[in-house]
Amino acid sequence: MNSLSDISLELLLPEAMMIVGILAMIIIPNLGDAKIRIPLTNTSVPVFFGGTRFAQVNNPFIPSVVAMITFTASFFMSLIMLEAETNGNIGEVMEINQFTNLFSLIFTSALLITSIATFYRMPPHKNPEIPKNTDSESSTGTKIKILMNNRRQVDFYILLMMVGLGMCLMSKSTHLFLLFVCLELASLSSYVLVGFYKESDIGGEAGTKYFIVGSVASAVGIYGMSLLYLWNGNLQIDSLTSSWATMESLDPFAGIGIGLMLVAFGFKVGAAPFHLATPDAYSGASSPIAGLLATASKAMGFVAIMKILLIITSSEEGIETYWMVAIALMSVITMTWGNFAALSSENPKRMLAYSSVAHAGYMLAAIAAIGSGLGDIDSNILIVTAVIFHLTILILFKFGAFLVLTILENEGLSHNMDGLKGLAKRDPVIAVSMFIFMLSLAGIPPLSGFLSKLLMINGIVNVSAGTGSLSSATILTWITSVNIIFWLALSIVINSAVSLFYYLRIGLIMFFEEPVIEEPPAKSIYLRIIIIICATFTILLGIGPLSEYLLEIANEAAQSLL
Amino acid sequence: MNLDILTIITLVPIFTGLILIILPQLLPKETADNLKLITRNISMGVALAIFAISTMIFIGTIGSVDWTDILHGEYVLKNEQFSLISSIGVQWKVGADALSFPMIWLTSLLIPISMLVEWDAKKGHIFHPLILIMEGALLGVFVSLDLFIFYVFWELTLIPMFLLILLWGGEDRKYAAMKFFIYTFTASVFMLIGILVMYFHTTPIPGIGSMTGHHFDLVQMSLQDNLIPNEGLRHFVWILLLIGFATKMPSVPVHTWLPDAHVQAPTAGSMLLAGVMLKMGAYGFLRIAVTIFPESTIIFMPLLVFLGMASLVYGAWVCMGQTNLKRMVAYSSVSHMGLIFLGIATMQPLGIAGALFMMFAHGVISPLLFAVAGAFKHHYHTLEIGSMRGIAHHSPYLSGHMMLGWMASLGLPLMAGFVAEVAILIAFWMSFGWLVMLPALTLIITATYYLTSMQRTIFESDDPHQGILPASLNGDEPRDVTWNENTGMFILGIFTIIFGIFPFIFWDMMSVWSTGFMSDIMISAMENTDAWSPSIDWILEVFK
Repeated sequence: MNSLSDISLELLLPEAMMIVGILAMIIIPNLGDAKIRIPLTNTSVPVFFGGTRFAQVNNPFIPSVVAMITFTASFFMSLIMLEAETNGNIGEVMEINQFTNLFSLIFTSALLITSIATFYRMPPHKNPEIPKNTDSESSTGTKIKILMNNRRQVDFYILLMMVGLGMCLMSKSTHLFLLFVCLELASLSSYVLVGFYKESDIGGEAGTKYFIVGSVASAVGIYGMSLLYLWNGNLQIDSLTSSWATMESLDPFAGIGIGLMLVAFGFKVGAAPFHLATPDAYSGASSPIAGLLATASKAMGFVAIMKILLIITSSEEGIETYWMVAIALMSVITMTWGNFAALSSENPKRMLAYSSVAHAGYMLAAIAAIGSGLGDIDSNILIVTAVIFHLTILILFKFGAFLVLTILENEGLSHNMDGLKGLAKRDPVIAVSMFIFMLSLAGIPPLSGFLSKLLMINGIVNVSAGTGSLSSATILTWITSVNIIFWLALSIVINSAVSLFYYLRIGLIMFFEEPVIEEPPAKSIYLRIIIIICATFTILLGIGPLSEYLLEIANEAAQSLL
Repeated sequence: MNLDILTIITLVPIFTGLILIILPQLLPKETADNLKLITRNISMGVALAIFAISTMIFIGTIGSVDWTDILHGEYVLKNEQFSLISSIGVQWKVGADALSFPMIWLTSLLIPISMLVEWDAKKGHIFHPLILIMEGALLGVFVSLDLFIFYVFWELTLIPMFLLILLWGGEDRKYAAMKFFIYTFTASVFMLIGILVMYFHTTPIPGIGSMTGHHFDLVQMSLQDNLIPNEGLRHFVWILLLIGFATKMPSVPVHTWLPDAHVQAPTAGSMLLAGVMLKMGAYGFLRIAVTIFPESTIIFMPLLVFLGMASLVYGAWVCMGQTNLKRMVAYSSVSHMGLIFLGIATMQPLGIAGALFMMFAHGVISPLLFAVAGAFKHHYHTLEIGSMRGIAHHSPYLSGHMMLGWMASLGLPLMAGFVAEVAILIAFWMSFGWLVMLPALTLIITATYYLTSMQRTIFESDDPHQGILPASLNGDEPRDVTWNENTGMFILGIFTIIFGIFPFIFWDMMSVWSTGFMSDIMISAMENTDAWSPSIDWILEVFK
């Protein structure tokens, strides 16, 4: 047994930061002037906890500031760990390596962006009343008191930090049970966050729908896990891996168990046919939360999928895995469905949600290429590098697009294309950034979205193009003899072409339609700075030394995963 | 030489253009307004400087290159290789040879002229820098010797052109811009798959591609024997590349984006589109598909002949029925691009040199045609051929330029187009015999549509002093061309005649390159291939 003292805390610094943050978030807003009278005397000792709260700690800024400090600290901790190439084990349930360090960085940066984006933007109630000149003095006082209340913000940021804690621990766990618990910690908090957007009529509905579908998916996943336990008697990933490798033919318990777990994780990444709640959740949630779901939550799902598919059930070189055909089919359906649904979306958030579904399809295609068993370890590492790289840069341009919608959200127009109309006339900088994000999502060079898509197609072509029969002298004999994985590359390419239509349409709407509202959108200086940073890095990571640096990190991460 | 001149002429316009667009957003309003006033002058200055540099490269003042002495496979003005993304083997590698240099010179010539023709464009502080960015992207396509960078520039040309059509286009510009972007992007992602398959068959070069062990270096790829050993895969890659290049060129049946894009694009956009962007297709086809997969090219020669014939005949035939001046000129481009495929399919030095000269000559003539069409739109507010008659009386200069352009395009001797047509037709006759009747007779159709449209617009009028003016003028007296349009057209007209009378200026280096190309690559490929073609035996005999 491990005792608590065996745990080397320095390996869990980002998570420790978040726990400290959660505690601070509970304590600080509750500080007040409460006093305890020492029994039998008349002296009262202040205990600072409870009673009437101090004006300073009741300030609506306080929770955001605490959250921002926490996430900044854990972001830098992850960065330091990444630079120092920290690795180690915690008991038998967690392992820290470059892979987990990079994903901690991804999660904390997404959460940091979310907390900055929500800074100063959340009213204390659904429709707070604003004091008027005609009000009496006492009712003005009450209204101001309500306005200056930070209870709602505290709830929101505690949930946000719970999401972060769950995600970071989840990527580190090497035990399926811990993995699932952490995944649920993050998921349950994110369901509430989706429903938190009470200003919108559909927020609650979206949260409920997301919660119901999500919990059914989790229940199915837990059932699958119980079958795995029945089969192996142990949920340690190493033990499952060795049992899987020694299995002579596919054991029904193991096969069905893995399949059912994939349902739960497929829901997280938004893979068809489990994606149906995704667009509703994204369009019902506030834009920063939708951005969080599209980037960090998706990355979390992919970590789980990679652990299940690439570690536990991977087979030896040259042998096709059991799941290859299923995942390949799923990826084609996912990307095609996502793109065609996005074509007809009139709501920018739904459109981005479907585009996120399509991107999940591209990444699944890359994973299917590994499952084909055609490539050697080097080419598999290359493919995983591509997927990790894509998940990392999604934070820049997918989240960036949601941040632009965040700016528009206060005008109440982020739910249809009207809000984007004529954005270039109202605010050229934001419109150009949005256009860059769209081009990057579409994969136009030299933006970073192109590099990641290129790397994924690269990986697929690398393992499959050599499979056509060597003696084939004509195209026809070659086409019939090549491995089906090769056609995944073509389907990604055709899908990219389809997707171009709706990404460019956003550009057309922003630059060439007459604006519905003439005034420029709110200044929101913090948001504006992050949007510009995101756009800059979208360009810088496309080509040149920075992309080289990130590729190397992603490559190290991929090596430590496989 | 330390100063890497090709990198400079590629990157300077891109960055100048970007700075000229971005800077006014950052400066205080008054300074920004002042800057906006001189933006077009700065852009023109940069464009002229680049034209001067490329001319100096041509006459040998810079780099002291003797252009007629470059062997095939040799690149001049190469830079020090510089690794951009070393883990996947991307390098910044530029160089020029006789295939790319005429295109580089042509680009640097057309950019200042297209700026001049639209000197007074609305929102000029964005228009001229965009053309400058376009110049950098186009030059990048022609100078890069690394396929990744090539592809990046190839796609980068789409963005300024997309914006040019969208911001300054005609009535239906949104549809045209979207169609243009999606059509060509889709085609080029097919090409991208082809490039990636090639990438995975490269053998490692020490020092680059540390993660994948492969590289995008085009020169090394063409040096590697038998890049893709699997024959079926090789043909498949060739077809993927052909899809990308043929769409850009464009060849029937993937030409339908071109008329829409041309009709809607602003004059300068049309000029660059027809003058240089279409040539990117032919350039890429020769540089990548034919050079690296000569066997596939020989095997698919009948396909090339078919595509070329179809474009030539169909394009010319459709021209006869056009009532819109710009649409007619656009289809005539399709028709002329068909000749390039025919020239390549002849597999002879003369034919290939003819194709190269066609690329160049069409690059000088078609901008003139589009400048004329643009001036019509500008001064008569219509492009309908039947709606105006006898305009020679009102706009003598415009009519003169139109006559010159039309005559050059239909292949009148002593004009640049004639040289190319004759070379291609002779080579075609040598390779395919009496099949030459089809392209030769198509030239009659070409003459028909040009002469008809010219006669109906310029001359034909009952009253010699008063033509029929289109209703779109609302009874106003039309003006002749403005000074800037006139100057631009004059320069293009002069070059058309100069290269018609003295074709050897560029012809010599092209024919040296094509001869080397044939003897280095095609002949051995022909000996290895047992494809059916009546001409191959004959070509081999001539070379022995």
